[in-house]
Amino acid sequence: MVNLTIDDKQVTAPKTATIYEAAKLNGINIPILCHDKKLKPFGACRMCLVEVEQMKGRQIPACTTPVTEGMIIRTSTPDIVKARKMVLELLLLNHPIDCPVCDKAGDCDLQNLTYEYKVNANRFTDEKFHHEIDYNNPLIERDMNRCVLCGKCARICDEIVSFGALTFISRGIETKIGCEFDEALNCEFCGSCVSVCPVGSLLARPFKFKARFWSLTKQKTICGYCGTGCNLTLGVKDNKVLTTIYDENQGFHNGQLCCRGRFGYQFINSEKRLTKPLVRKNGNLVEAGWDEALDLVAARLKGAGAAAAAIATARLTNEELVLFKQLMETAGSNNYDHSAGYAHAALTEGFASSFGVAASPSSILDIQKSELLLVIKTDAYETHPVVGFEINMAVKNKGVLLKILSDKSGKLSKLPDAKTLIHTPGTETTIINSLAKVILDNKLADASAALIPGYDELEKALADFTPEAVSAQCGLSAVEIKQLASAYAKADKALIIFPVGQAYPGHTAALANAIANLALLAGKLGKEGSGVLCLSEKNNSQGAVDMGFQTADGLNANQILDGCASKTIKTLLIAGENPMVSYPDHAKVAAALDRLEFLVVSEIFLTETAAMADVVLPVCSFAEKEGTFTATDRRVQHIKPAIKKTAQSRSDFEILGALIKKLGGIAPTAPASVFAEIASSVPGYAGMSYVSLGEEGQFATVAVKPAFVVPQAPLAKSETGKLALVIGSALYHNGTLSQYGEGPMHVCPEGYVELSRADAAALNFAENDLLTVSSAGGSMVLKARISSRIPQGVVFAPYHFGSNPVNQIWNGAAVTWVTLTK
Amino acid sequence: MSEAVAQQAAEQEPEIDLSLANKIIDKYIDMPGNLMPVLQGAQDEYGYIPRAVADLIAERLNVYPSQIYGVLTFYAQFHLKPRGRFIIRVCVGTACHVQGAPRIVETFFDKLKIGHAETTPDLRYTFEKVACLGACGMAPLAMVNDSTYGAMTVQKVDEIVNDYNQRPMK
Repeated sequence: MVNLTIDDKQVTAPKTATIYEAAKLNGINIPILCHDKKLKPFGACRMCLVEVEQMKGRQIPACTTPVTEGMIIRTSTPDIVKARKMVLELLLLNHPIDCPVCDKAGDCDLQNLTYEYKVNANRFTDEKFHHEIDYNNPLIERDMNRCVLCGKCARICDEIVSFGALTFISRGIETKIGCEFDEALNCEFCGSCVSVCPVGSLLARPFKFKARFWSLTKQKTICGYCGTGCNLTLGVKDNKVLTTIYDENQGFHNGQLCCRGRFGYQFINSEKRLTKPLVRKNGNLVEAGWDEALDLVAARLKGAGAAAAAIATARLTNEELVLFKQLMETAGSNNYDHSAGYAHAALTEGFASSFGVAASPSSILDIQKSELLLVIKTDAYETHPVVGFEINMAVKNKGVLLKILSDKSGKLSKLPDAKTLIHTPGTETTIINSLAKVILDNKLADASAALIPGYDELEKALADFTPEAVSAQCGLSAVEIKQLASAYAKADKALIIFPVGQAYPGHTAALANAIANLALLAGKLGKEGSGVLCLSEKNNSQGAVDMGFQTADGLNANQILDGCASKTIKTLLIAGENPMVSYPDHAKVAAALDRLEFLVVSEIFLTETAAMADVVLPVCSFAEKEGTFTATDRRVQHIKPAIKKTAQSRSDFEILGALIKKLGGIAPTAPASVFAEIASSVPGYAGMSYVSLGEEGQFATVAVKPAFVVPQAPLAKSETGKLALVIGSALYHNGTLSQYGEGPMHVCPEGYVELSRADAAALNFAENDLLTVSSAGGSMVLKARISSRIPQGVVFAPYHFGSNPVNQIWNGAAVTWVTLTK
Repeated sequence: MSEAVAQQAAEQEPEIDLSLANKIIDKYIDMPGNLMPVLQGAQDEYGYIPRAVADLIAERLNVYPSQIYGVLTFYAQFHLKPRGRFIIRVCVGTACHVQGAPRIVETFFDKLKIGHAETTPDLRYTFEKVACLGACGMAPLAMVNDSTYGAMTVQKVDEIVNDYNQRPMK
């Protein structure tokens, strides 16, 4: 700490602080335009000029000058005020005064500073700019006439997003922010640039002319898409969510969001939403009252026993999942599962057997504190973009080493000094086993490892996994495997990250066991910035696991569908899940649901699955209800309603409570009381309450009881003359819900098949060609995308799209062998 | 998506031999701060930086394409359009101006049918007015590539153009 004087006040600040930071820490506000706490100091705008006595009263920028012992600083002398006024006059010389039609008005740093410094006249005159406004994409409007060249957009796109879409182009008076060859913006549309723009140069187009900023009510909540658990601020007016508002102080991610989080909110007030319950009469779904619909469901459930089953999406709140369990138990059935049990077997079986707890021992906060990150599949960026930002910052700002094991390269591969090992699809477990073998053979194992139960069995089981033995099968050289193993073992703090979810069937319990073995062998657990982090797919996947929404004595999702097909399951309740699109093997799912006597779907939209139901119950979105979500790293967060429930929709909590009552049970009346029950019964949640969660949330503790479990590595098969299709997530989407968010659909409206340049050239395919993709299970038509990131012999397809679901050709295998024809 | 755009752009440009650019990149690939020498090498090789070459450099050096464009537009030494075989520069600095440089410039414009910073369609000439070439004693001054022509007159413009019209393009 250093001692200094700011505006005659004795203050202290950390040695590393700048004058701006020291002032802010001590409640003294210095005006800024180009500075952002998340970005490196830049010093472009000269708004933050201050006087330092030791520097002979020279005016120096506070945002780039570090504090030193005994500094005497004045932040608002008459000279400083005069200088700041002139800076504003010069900015306003070219900046158009079109505030009445600018969506930034009310939230504009330049406007606020102009007001604060009373710049009501300008001593200079000059022409305004005449740049063409970029309206070429539907999400971000770029009006460079309003730009003040603070460079925040270009810097955030480089430093945090690591996409680099924007930069300073040209020179002198002609300088402006632009893209390569001054083309239209075409990026991943996370909107980070929009969020930091201090003026109206970069605007969210979906919000244009929707409302004045000051008329919005701001409601903080948690994003309802992936498992990262990002905090959101929704801008609400007239019971409509009109935009997301950036708050740099919100969440571990400082307000950073991805495309779907920032631009995917439109499903909340979509006109396509279900408004009333629907009941099937004479083969058609017709509108009905709530009592009629719920009576029908209750009558089916009463005494149904094991003939009833439930599949819930992991987007429900913890409280709703607990209630759902209670409902099924009241009905006498323990057949319930969430988001297809198979997709989270890495947690429920893998981690459960290796760590004694079905949760990741590490958190997202460990990423920037690590020394080496080992990422399994570059898709971690696509499935959890904000976790991707954390990885970007760890590598670029903290010099963390990044090693990637993947079946294709991706955005993470482009990070400085990132090493991507491209392996044969489906061989992850084998490679991880081989890494463990190298650690054992080279005596790199931690001393603690030999004391963990199962050590001897593991040592024996790994005998066949020498790098030389697996090299050919995995498509990696023995040297590469050895180098990776020794880099991992030698890093003091190393973190393994891998995504799981419905699109990643290869990321099985065995892979989780193998990863856990590797981390345990190398002694990476129990340290900050080190360990294992499994990225679960949905906003509450970890919560669904924690709430035990699947029991060993009941059927899992796949078995439930088999039960439907064999008619042992007669009544199925589906809450928010769309198996027709997201579960493997479309034909099998369709046949199973078809054979059901009674299908109930509670949904926001009339999805492909809801359209098959006998009763459809309209439910509300995350923005209309209260409860808790548990993020992938077991951060439990409180969500609060931002708007009143639309139309006649009800929350799943209300629906399930009503059904429990109709079955003669006692239903809790408020989510808070259910959470109190959770806090007293779920391991790790002890002591939590809605009040204690606060805005930051609380981590549920993870008590690891380590054990070595021998993983069964699947043998990689290959079919000559065919291409290996791997399914995955597209950056802009999450599950099937994002199909109803306009933003993601603007930039990625349909499925596609991505293939390598080499394969495209050999097969004579061009970009956007319509290709017939055929597997043993069927065939479908997808648009071709040709890219340099896919290795020869591999093709990739995302799974989110109901209009042309990829499960027509995919039966849930980690690798599907396909042929492509034009 | 950007790759598709790049592909289209590459198709619109005349056939570019990327092997030349690849050779330049190979030479500097392991050197820190290699962007400037690679761009300078490409500028020398092609006479300008074709879009396809910029994209190739971005991919191989792992630099954002936008950043490359930023560098290309910052420095006057880089050109984004094909330049003429012969670059004619006429000084319009103070000394040359008083010695009649404007008339020399006009005459070149008439003769070549192009304006300042433009290139003839046959890619033979690019014409540029420049502020000072540092040889005021020779005013009014013109240069064609590295050759200087002092004490320029309207007649000498004709002679120079006729001379360079005869010279080979390669």
